[in-house]
Amino acid sequence: MSLLTLKNVSKIYGELKALDDVSIHVDRGEWIAIMGPSGSGKSTMMNIIGCMDKPTMGEVLMDGVDISKESSKKLTEIRRDKIGLIFQQFHMVNYLTAVENVMVSQYYHSMPEEAEALEALSRVGLRDRARHLPSQLSGGEQQRVCVARALINHPELILADEPTGNLDEANENIVLDLFSQLHEEGTTLIVVTHDTEVAKAAQRVIVLDHGRVAMETNNAHAGSAKASSFL
Amino acid sequence: MFLRMITASLLRRRSRMLVALLSIAIGATILSGLVTIYYDVPRQMGAQFRNYGANMILLPGDGATLTTDAAENALAVFARDQLIGAAPYRYVRLDMVLRQQSFMAAGTDFEQIQKTSPYFSVEGRYPENEREVLVGKDIADTIGVKLKSVMELTYRPTSAASLGAARDDTPTPGATLSGGAEGWNGGMVYVSVRLDGEGYIETVEVDASNQTNEIGGLCAQELFTSQFVGKKIPVTLGSDVDTIAGATMTSAAVVEAVNGASNIASVANKTSNFTVVGILDTGGDEESYVFISLEDMAALTGEAGGLDVMELSVSAAQDELEQYASAIQDLNSGVIPRLVKRVTRSETAVLSKLQALVFLVTAVVLLLTMICVSTTMMAVISERRKEIGLRKALGASDNGIRTEFLGEALLLGVLGGVLGAILGFAFAQLVSVNVFGSSITFQPLLLPVTILVSMAVTGVSCLLPIQRAVEIDPALVLKGE
Repeated sequence: MSLLTLKNVSKIYGELKALDDVSIHVDRGEWIAIMGPSGSGKSTMMNIIGCMDKPTMGEVLMDGVDISKESSKKLTEIRRDKIGLIFQQFHMVNYLTAVENVMVSQYYHSMPEEAEALEALSRVGLRDRARHLPSQLSGGEQQRVCVARALINHPELILADEPTGNLDEANENIVLDLFSQLHEEGTTLIVVTHDTEVAKAAQRVIVLDHGRVAMETNNAHAGSAKASSFL
Repeated sequence: MFLRMITASLLRRRSRMLVALLSIAIGATILSGLVTIYYDVPRQMGAQFRNYGANMILLPGDGATLTTDAAENALAVFARDQLIGAAPYRYVRLDMVLRQQSFMAAGTDFEQIQKTSPYFSVEGRYPENEREVLVGKDIADTIGVKLKSVMELTYRPTSAASLGAARDDTPTPGATLSGGAEGWNGGMVYVSVRLDGEGYIETVEVDASNQTNEIGGLCAQELFTSQFVGKKIPVTLGSDVDTIAGATMTSAAVVEAVNGASNIASVANKTSNFTVVGILDTGGDEESYVFISLEDMAALTGEAGGLDVMELSVSAAQDELEQYASAIQDLNSGVIPRLVKRVTRSETAVLSKLQALVFLVTAVVLLLTMICVSTTMMAVISERRKEIGLRKALGASDNGIRTEFLGEALLLGVLGGVLGAILGFAFAQLVSVNVFGSSITFQPLLLPVTILVSMAVTGVSCLLPIQRAVEIDPALVLKGE
């Protein structure tokens, strides 16, 4: 069943076509990797899917609703209710503890509940680091907090922008393993990456080049199976 | 969570927030300090102005004297804490026979004088005991008295009684009359007149020892006095009696004294020795007076006597003084209140100028504080662009961002306000002590007012920075490195 459909989407900045007539389709529960060189339109696509930007042309259907014409207020609501975001730079509120950072996401979504936030941290293996400030956590730990923050509101779609870009291999594996767990639970994952290893973990890889879909490949093996091999 | 976030933001970002807090607190400090001074200035300056002498005087109506009762009734009109001092004055002419001097003596209350005329500069001290005298510098220089000198002061009842007053009785034939009048340069001329059985002048004796010997002194000689013999009172100068050439004033004084002479001459002259304990230097008229206590004056003159004037020092603005004056007038006790206009007017003028100045400075400081807080918040927000972007990406609405930052700003405002109110009082106290030399009382109302103003100023100053925060595009700030 379709969660996200991009129909002939273009994003044009003056002369530059960041996205040029792109059409993709993501089913509920799918794990997709988006690859491509710098300037290929990955970030633009990520922003549009993440409801932080609107296309110049085309339709973006999220859960059957066209979000390409929505007001930014409405987009904020959709992002809050349906999407969990993970960034390359982690982006934590630096004066809040790990558990509080997770709770910020709850706060904007519904009601902050510390027990639930602690449970999310347990899930990423950081229950004992809950009271630490970001500056007291390693990069890998920070990214795991961000995963916890992204999944706390049970989003339908987790959108990750180079989630392992700043991590060493061990932490990369931990994060990928978390992704595969989420995938098994039925969460839809879209991961923007440079890293072919990360891309291999996904079920399907979409390669962008010059704002166009250059290639779309299905990984023969299931993403979960690949990721599980890291355990 | 909201509170947890903003308090965490304040507590865990201490150094940043301290800068913002400091700018607010400094603003609030100066504001509350200035406001305190603004409201305290009239009181402070009022007290200062009281150093420049009395601002109200009480006069007796119709040439009579001021009775103690009437004066006390008038004083009862004033609020206790506003009446700083009330100095009574009773003027009597006293002589220093040996030195051939005569001068005005003021009977007064030295304790009150020090309150109404704090600018009086006294070498030595004010009289405290019986028969001590404070001598004006002019007199001291003229007659050459110094501290601890003894002055023999004489009161001549006749002279005082008849001074300048036209007689309204017919001189009794056969009586001996005494009189006195002011001659050359304030010196008194005294006469003793003997009438025969028919009321004609038999002899006139003149005491012109206070006049210049070789000029006015001639009026005491027979050449002059013999002219009166066989005349009836009143005698006319020019027709009955010829003026001594060169001694016009003394001649006129003798005639005036003779015409005013009365038969209470039986009252003896009174003399007492006074010790000079202080020399008064004011640069004004007071230097040509001697000052003794009212009690000594009563003892010397043999009568309590009324007051000629009462000087009041009242800590009140001009309009309030005018209200007091009309209240005294309404008593109808024959007391005439007068404002010392040159004091009250300049007081009012200086006060309003000073208040306008403080007001202006306060307004400028308010503006500067707003700019300062606004700049600081702008810096805080640009430093937190990523965090704001993140919050928006996590689903914070524009109003959510506004609420958070306004909440933070208002919390800063409250803290800054509390700090400012306390420091402001200290600041005002410092200014007050250093500039006015007196302390101020804490206005409890100022605490909530300062906090509210501080919150309002911070809130308003943050509107623009917060709008900037709202406009942040999460996609841009979260992207890449």
